[in-house]
Amino acid sequence: METLKISSRISHVQNKILPLNIKPYPLIHNSRILGFYSNKGRTFSYTVTCKLNTVKGKKPSKGKTVLGSDGAAPPVVEVEERSVGRKVEEPPKSSGVGFGIFKKLPRKVLGVLSNLPLAIAEMFAVAALMALGTFIDQGEAPDYYFQKFPEDHPPLGFFTWRWVLTLGFDHMFSSPVFLGTLAFLGASLMACTYTTQIPLVKVARRWSFLQSAETIRKLEYVDTLPRASVKDLGVILMGDGYEVFLKGPTLFAFKGLAGRFAPIGVHLSLLLVMSGGTLSAAGSFRGAVTVPQGLNFIVGDVLAPSGFLSTPSDAFSTEVHVNRFSMDYYDSGEVLQFHTDLSLFDLDGKEVMRKTISVNDPLRYGGITIYQTDWSISALQVLKDDEGPFNLAMAPLQLNGGDKKLFGTFLPVGDDNSLNVKGVSMLARDLQSVILYDKEGKFAGVRRPNSKLPIEINGTKIVIEDAIGSSGLDLKTDPGVPVVYAGFGSLMLTTCISYLSHTQLWALQDGTSVVIGGKTNRAKGEFPDTINRLLDHVPELVESSSPKEPDTHSGV
Amino acid sequence: MIFSTLEHILTHISFSIVSIVITIHLITFLVDEIVKLYDSSEKGIIVTFFCITGLLVTRWISSGHFPLSDLYESLIFLSWSFSLIHIIPYFKKNVLILSKITGPSAIFTQGFATSGILTEIHQSGILVPVLQSEWLIMHVSTMILGYAALLCGSLLSVALLVITFRKNRKLFYKSNGFLNESFFLGENVLENTSFFSAKNYYRSQLIQQLDYWSYRVISLGFTFLTIGILSGAVWANEAWGSYWNWDPKETWAFITWIVFAIYLHTRTHRNLRGANSAIVASIGFLIIWICYFGVNLLGIGLHSYGSFPSTFN
Repeated sequence: METLKISSRISHVQNKILPLNIKPYPLIHNSRILGFYSNKGRTFSYTVTCKLNTVKGKKPSKGKTVLGSDGAAPPVVEVEERSVGRKVEEPPKSSGVGFGIFKKLPRKVLGVLSNLPLAIAEMFAVAALMALGTFIDQGEAPDYYFQKFPEDHPPLGFFTWRWVLTLGFDHMFSSPVFLGTLAFLGASLMACTYTTQIPLVKVARRWSFLQSAETIRKLEYVDTLPRASVKDLGVILMGDGYEVFLKGPTLFAFKGLAGRFAPIGVHLSLLLVMSGGTLSAAGSFRGAVTVPQGLNFIVGDVLAPSGFLSTPSDAFSTEVHVNRFSMDYYDSGEVLQFHTDLSLFDLDGKEVMRKTISVNDPLRYGGITIYQTDWSISALQVLKDDEGPFNLAMAPLQLNGGDKKLFGTFLPVGDDNSLNVKGVSMLARDLQSVILYDKEGKFAGVRRPNSKLPIEINGTKIVIEDAIGSSGLDLKTDPGVPVVYAGFGSLMLTTCISYLSHTQLWALQDGTSVVIGGKTNRAKGEFPDTINRLLDHVPELVESSSPKEPDTHSGV
Repeated sequence: MIFSTLEHILTHISFSIVSIVITIHLITFLVDEIVKLYDSSEKGIIVTFFCITGLLVTRWISSGHFPLSDLYESLIFLSWSFSLIHIIPYFKKNVLILSKITGPSAIFTQGFATSGILTEIHQSGILVPVLQSEWLIMHVSTMILGYAALLCGSLLSVALLVITFRKNRKLFYKSNGFLNESFFLGENVLENTSFFSAKNYYRSQLIQQLDYWSYRVISLGFTFLTIGILSGAVWANEAWGSYWNWDPKETWAFITWIVFAIYLHTRTHRNLRGANSAIVASIGFLIIWICYFGVNLLGIGLHSYGSFPSTFN
């Protein structure tokens, strides 16, 4: 028996079979040699001299693990003819907190729900319903549907208004059909995560060593290095970021385990988003109000509940004052931004908050958020013949399409009690300028509100003092938002991570050559090239005691 | 003034280069493979990439906002994404298939954008208040990048389907013919079919390559699409107070997301593998166009500033 120096390379191996009563499970892990290995009836065995620790019949203890995330090493599985990564049928015994309820359901229901073609069909159904919801105008009065889908000549030959209204397609996205399909999809998602994904994690994390060259050759990618040692391969792989485990002549390495976990993360994030959305739909308050500058309102008056879980909070008794509403313009005259200066007062009349909000910059207080969404002109303040000021309320006028707004008001001149009251008409697109028309409707002039320049129309002197705008505010309180945001964040993260590939490699020292096989789940096309480049670095062994320089192998 | 002339120059340079590249590809495809020409076509796409980047930067500087506020600018960004997707594998030096797809796509997008239909909105416009947010950059750029990657991937799947079904048809005819002959003449059918096996080998290699690259590109695009949809939802919550409004564009983006999720799932299942996933990806190609253009043609909803100008109606 020759003793060999293991610290650098194996240069000479000797056939020797050790007595069978020694059955330890040492691990040669990342170049720390902890013991020796015995293999019954295989091609070779060797003994090492440095750091002999005979571990008698004990499974590897916690100190020798690689996966630092959990304390215990997964049990080393002796596999003879096992195909790795096969899905385990039975669900794990130790399940998470939320899944305990599934133990009560019959297994058959779970099996049906986690069927993938069914899930795909559900996804198609949800997509089709959503598409239908965009084609059918939503939220109109029933008369609209009577006209659009008449019974005498229905579109598609059968799609009358009865279909639309009974199935709830006029409010598709809150109809029972759609919500039911979504709930079904959510149930499938939960079942699939429980039955398929979680066992997959356990399988993927198991260290499995393949014992025979034939098993390795059945893998997707196979190669043979004619004169090499499996330890050198292990060193090269470690340098490339793999986790390497050596057990005698066999080697197992993996990289990118996060790519296996990430799909579970995606499904869990989706469930989180769905539950947050349900919470929002059932428990939030919404409201919108248009408040002229200088007026105020109480928060609770404008908010309406959205579902059965909505409960008002103390902040609902806050009073909101619109101190000032202003608009900024581009040089070309278009609207650049509009701002509202808000003060919040509590029941005692104390000012608790003051902020100027604008679009994309809301105010948050006590769970309530106030958004600036719209604007309008509430009144023009005019002086007529130096009397006044009169507040003339402005009304929005209908334009043919487009986003532009137009407001108008009317100042009667002359005899107020006659039937055909004549007066001065004033139009304004925004708070910048007012266009005035005389009694006959002819254009009279343009005035800017702050210039205080008078204008003479039909003998009346008019001064536009001010244009008072009103602020369009949307108020909302939504308990589901933190949940949904958490779901969004984790969904983005896990989707990115699941792009990574999980690669597994097995190798076996077969005489003087090493048989390598591997598989990967994502980057299949580049896999052979990547592994070839790695294998090129494995040094080639020659018969003399000092090996030559690393040489490119002649792969088979 | 100088910015607009610079823009015009860059637009026309990129347009001409891409047309030259398309012509070169057609020549190699139809006539003969001339290696030097091929190298120059690769360089041509790189030059196009830099031209379009310059175009976008110029628009950014001259208008003061990130160049993604209306349909024209999003089309320019789309063709930029195509040239970007083309360049990345070029540095890895192993994918030649993608160039056949990204090149024509970039030219068609660029051509449509600069064509006569949209000449009125070439001038960089102003941003309405609701678009003045940092979220604009993240949301729209990831959406357009996602669209570009998903379009490339689904075009690769369409190519796969075309090749698969042409091969099956041809094999079907040929095998029928030979069966009859061998029956009458007693020839060795295997000898004749071995002639096909060489061609079939290259075909199945090509199909496998197409399948693999389609999968990789679509998963990349799916990641971008997810980030785009979610950042749009967060932006909507910051701007209007609700993260999902069942707006037509949002709904169709969600439908696109679902269809490509179906694609990714059909690849994992044993029974559904193969051409089925390619069919799903081809459906996805149509759905992306509905989502990107079709909804804008309606001109309604929260995304109406992406629609054609009202003078067009």
